[in-house]
Amino acid sequence: MWLFLTRVGAMAGKETLHIRRDPLTLWLGLALPLFLLILFGFGISFDLDHIPLAVVDQDNTTESRELRQLFTAGSEFVFAGALDNPDDALDAFAKSQAHAVLTIPEGYAAALSRGENVEVGLILDAADANSAQQALARADAFAQLASAQAAQRRGLDIAGSMPVSARTWTRYNPAGRSALFLVPGVTAYVMALVSVLLTALAVSKEWEQGSMEQLFATPVRRAEIVVGKLLPYLGMGIIQVLLVLVAGTWIFGLPTNGNGLVVALGSLLFMVGMLGQGLLISIVARNQMVASLTAVMTAMLPSMLLSGFMFPVENMPLPLRTLSNMVPARYYIQVLRGTLLKDNGFAELAVPLMLLAAFATLMMVVSTVMFKRKLA
Amino acid sequence: MSAVTAAGPFRWLVQLWAVVVKEVRQTVQDKRIMALIVIAPFLQLVLLGFAIDLDVDQVPTIVVDMDRTPESRHAVAALMADGSLTAVGTAGSPSDADAALDRGDAAVVLIVPEGYARDLARGEPTQVQVLLDGTDPTRSGIAGGAAVRYFGEQGFSLAKQRLAAVAPDVQISAIDVRSRLAYNPSLSTPIYMVPGIAGMLLLIITTIVTAMGLSREREVGTLEQIRVTPLPTAVLMLGKVLPFVAVGLFDVTLALTAGVYIFDVPIRGSMLDFYIVTSLFLLTTVGVGLFLAAVSKTQQQAFVGAFLFILPAILLSGTMTPIHAMPDWMQPMTLLNPLRFYLEAIRAILLKGASLSDVPVQTAALLVYGLLILGFASLLFRKRLD
Amino acid sequence: MSASPAIVVDKLTRRYGDFTAVNDVSFQVEKGEIFGYLGANGAGKTTTIRMLCGLLSPSEGDAIVAGHQLSKNPERIKRAIGYMSQKFSLYTELTLKANLEFFGGAYGLWGKALRRRIAEVVELVDLQGRENVVTGDLPGGMRQRVALAGAILHSPDILFLDEPTAGVDPLARRRFWTLIRSLAESGTTIFVTTHYMDEAEYCARVGLMVAGRLPALDTPDGLKKHFVPGRLWVVRGPDLLTGDAAARLSALPGAIDVQTMGAGLRLRVQHDAPITEQTLQQALARPVEIDQDEANLEDVFLAVVDADSQQAGTAKAFGGS
Ligand SMILES: Nc1ncnc2c1ncn2[C@@H]1O[C@H](COP(=O)(O)OP(=O)(O)OP(=O)(O)O)[C@@H](O)[C@H]1O
Ligand SMILES: [Mg+2]
Repeated sequence: MWLFLTRVGAMAGKETLHIRRDPLTLWLGLALPLFLLILFGFGISFDLDHIPLAVVDQDNTTESRELRQLFTAGSEFVFAGALDNPDDALDAFAKSQAHAVLTIPEGYAAALSRGENVEVGLILDAADANSAQQALARADAFAQLASAQAAQRRGLDIAGSMPVSARTWTRYNPAGRSALFLVPGVTAYVMALVSVLLTALAVSKEWEQGSMEQLFATPVRRAEIVVGKLLPYLGMGIIQVLLVLVAGTWIFGLPTNGNGLVVALGSLLFMVGMLGQGLLISIVARNQMVASLTAVMTAMLPSMLLSGFMFPVENMPLPLRTLSNMVPARYYIQVLRGTLLKDNGFAELAVPLMLLAAFATLMMVVSTVMFKRKLA
Repeated sequence: MSAVTAAGPFRWLVQLWAVVVKEVRQTVQDKRIMALIVIAPFLQLVLLGFAIDLDVDQVPTIVVDMDRTPESRHAVAALMADGSLTAVGTAGSPSDADAALDRGDAAVVLIVPEGYARDLARGEPTQVQVLLDGTDPTRSGIAGGAAVRYFGEQGFSLAKQRLAAVAPDVQISAIDVRSRLAYNPSLSTPIYMVPGIAGMLLLIITTIVTAMGLSREREVGTLEQIRVTPLPTAVLMLGKVLPFVAVGLFDVTLALTAGVYIFDVPIRGSMLDFYIVTSLFLLTTVGVGLFLAAVSKTQQQAFVGAFLFILPAILLSGTMTPIHAMPDWMQPMTLLNPLRFYLEAIRAILLKGASLSDVPVQTAALLVYGLLILGFASLLFRKRLD
Repeated sequence: MSASPAIVVDKLTRRYGDFTAVNDVSFQVEKGEIFGYLGANGAGKTTTIRMLCGLLSPSEGDAIVAGHQLSKNPERIKRAIGYMSQKFSLYTELTLKANLEFFGGAYGLWGKALRRRIAEVVELVDLQGRENVVTGDLPGGMRQRVALAGAILHSPDILFLDEPTAGVDPLARRRFWTLIRSLAESGTTIFVTTHYMDEAEYCARVGLMVAGRLPALDTPDGLKKHFVPGRLWVVRGPDLLTGDAAARLSALPGAIDVQTMGAGLRLRVQHDAPITEQTLQQALARPVEIDQDEANLEDVFLAVVDADSQQAGTAKAFGGS
């Protein structure tokens, strides 16, 4: 055991030296997660606001102008200009000048004053289906509001005496801020990427430069190489997680609920798993280009799309849901969201923690085994 | 004693051909690289095309019906019928439901108060409570919205009925929105996402392969051997770039085929326009790859650099979040992003039937960025004599 | 051979920050000559070659290579030179033929001319039948010949070889030098660096670099005369390495230095020292075997390094051409 520790220590020391000799990579490794956190934290938003709306006002009355104002006063739509004809809508879409066109028909004000029903037209650039859907829902709400206002103008207050209504209470994230939802996801995503990338080249570089053969000539055992290679990156990873979580709290006001021990354990297990995945890739690839492409293909997009970071896993077809069960970022996100936002503890998060541990163990074991095999 | 060599303009063609052949041989002889740059992107596209569906429906809901009347049961059933919410269980008391929310068993708790049916009958206002798990704001927004809309409509029509009962000749006008969904009437997400993913994959592969390929030559010393030959830098660059532009065009064709046959992505514009903007885009991605190789000493540095370019480019492309929804300070940054312009252009061409003249800004931006970065990379490369 | 030299180096200097890797070096290499470049690790040999090949820009000074000025016309120089770098730098994942096709193409060779030239070169380096072997799978000695083949494809006037035989077995080294000499005989100028003194003996002239400077340059014989003057004796016998044998020899009149050599001692004395076999026998007072010895380049190397470290400032007095 003592021998194991000294040899692992020697390996780790050597690897640390390598990292330190390339300060650029070291600093990038430390700065990258922060940079990505800020970029993703601010850049991703599910509040699809500011949809550019063009208006065709065929009525041209006070009422029609009020309707336009009603639509564009809030943050949902921004006025992108007036069009003469609804037929110009497609042209405006093709040139990306507007994403929606509202048509107020001639006779709009007259119909309202008579209490008749009236239809306004809304043409949507539905290429981006999500934006279109949100625009649709909001337009409906505005129309309902406009009809209530029209009734009110005629002395009929129906909005004030609704016989039945629903009232909502939001728990955990009452302000509905995307950032609170996203920051744990971003943390997991960024850590997944950076860990895999850092280690993906760690061994393949040595294969390429031939220093691996030299290592095999020494009595160092495979498991010791694997652990030793991993340790310095784990140290770096722990600093990164801390940096990201502190920055997340500080910049995005992430609540600091929950059991710190659960967060620490989850982070550690997750990091070991992801570093192990990177190491495995580099052991199998033996070539830096293969290693880096594999790392990107297995970490960059799957951790983003299959982890529940941005897209809810529940909505995916069964085969993908099955696949997403194999993405460790998914469990780490569960742990982070659970503790930080919901104040969960070991009891609620036992399953994801166990799965993270299982993944980490699997990666370490497979790495060691593959390493032996590569030698034969 | 000099051997016979080709002369004049013919000479650089010979040199270019030599570089291209070498590059192809190197790539082809490693089957894993071939798999990674040809098959893997295709698989990813198909998989991820299915994965991305922002539609939120069937949000798990726990019902606490404290009224237990036909009216309350009807209201719950009608709300569930809409599809946004789905009942996964019932609870006897609001505090039980609360615990379920904590455990994550449900994301919504719907509480119908005692006396709901009685109050409705008496014409007294009554209120349904909806408790939402706000961790995912999109989901909670949609779930809450569905409940509010349903009961709002109920209230509106009940109010109208009552008004009609007291004053039969007063009309209330309803403003309806008659909507038309251009390009994508079924509101399919993949139609939008597939071109986005294709562009991302193209960016990832061509940038990394060129950046690492060239820095590998530096690392193992072959670059030095090349530099003592009269091979001009520009020819070397071009020769290294062409095969990967070809791979990129092949990949994008594959992706488009998958998009059309699996996800019903329409092709409304001209394929020629599509390939022109794709080539312009590839000019930039390989240019960035060469630039990274020119400034880095090792493959690892080139890789980290590529990564540092790729991720923000993906994020700022408008695929994950529409550009108009980004914070104001971030929007101008997307103007530096070739992926943004490429995706705008191909979406316009494929989905909206635009031609190049409809997307002049995007086309020009890609061309300018491509030439600038390639020129800059060549310059740096030539300058860097260590 | 025409009169103008193949290479004229004029006060070439290369600095890395504060460190001067090549310091004010000047020399000439004649056409068709095998010019050897010696020096300790880090002396600046590779740096000099890389500057002459246009791979590295000099901090100061200039050179004329194959009739073209380095600072003005590096592109023309490239066509006239071949370079084999210290590290194997062909594509290890490609076959011999693919490598040669690529580098031939880079020099503008193509079609039939390229194929013919590849066949010629492969025959010259004696690698027929291995055209389709991946170069990474070849043994070290063959790899060196592959690299040489790549460097001479375009029939360069000048060939720069940076430690071409490092790590190669003695037999392969000899074969390699036979090749180099035949190239020189057919008119190619050879500029070669090496750590092997026996190889340096093959060179028409040898330059010796110490810490970035070139304090010595001459024919091997000239160097020996200049830097290792005097006569050499080798004494072999029992118990020479223990006891006072070395001290007794150094005490002889006219003795310059004493070194151990195997189980014996090697004594260098001044030319006119009154020393014979008898004086040596007497001095040691025991039966020994005594031989006259020749100075070799290793002696020169050590002497130059020694002299240089003693009077680094005035080293210029020795050197130059
Ligand atoms: N890019 C560089 N930056 C800083 N110092 C350098 C650089 N390249 C070379 N040197 C230094 O310049 C000196 C000369 O190196 P050079 O490679 O020319 O030596 P050499 O004579 O070829 O040695 P060897 O026999 O080991 O090949 C060395 O001390 C080396 O460390
Ligand atoms: Mg050297």
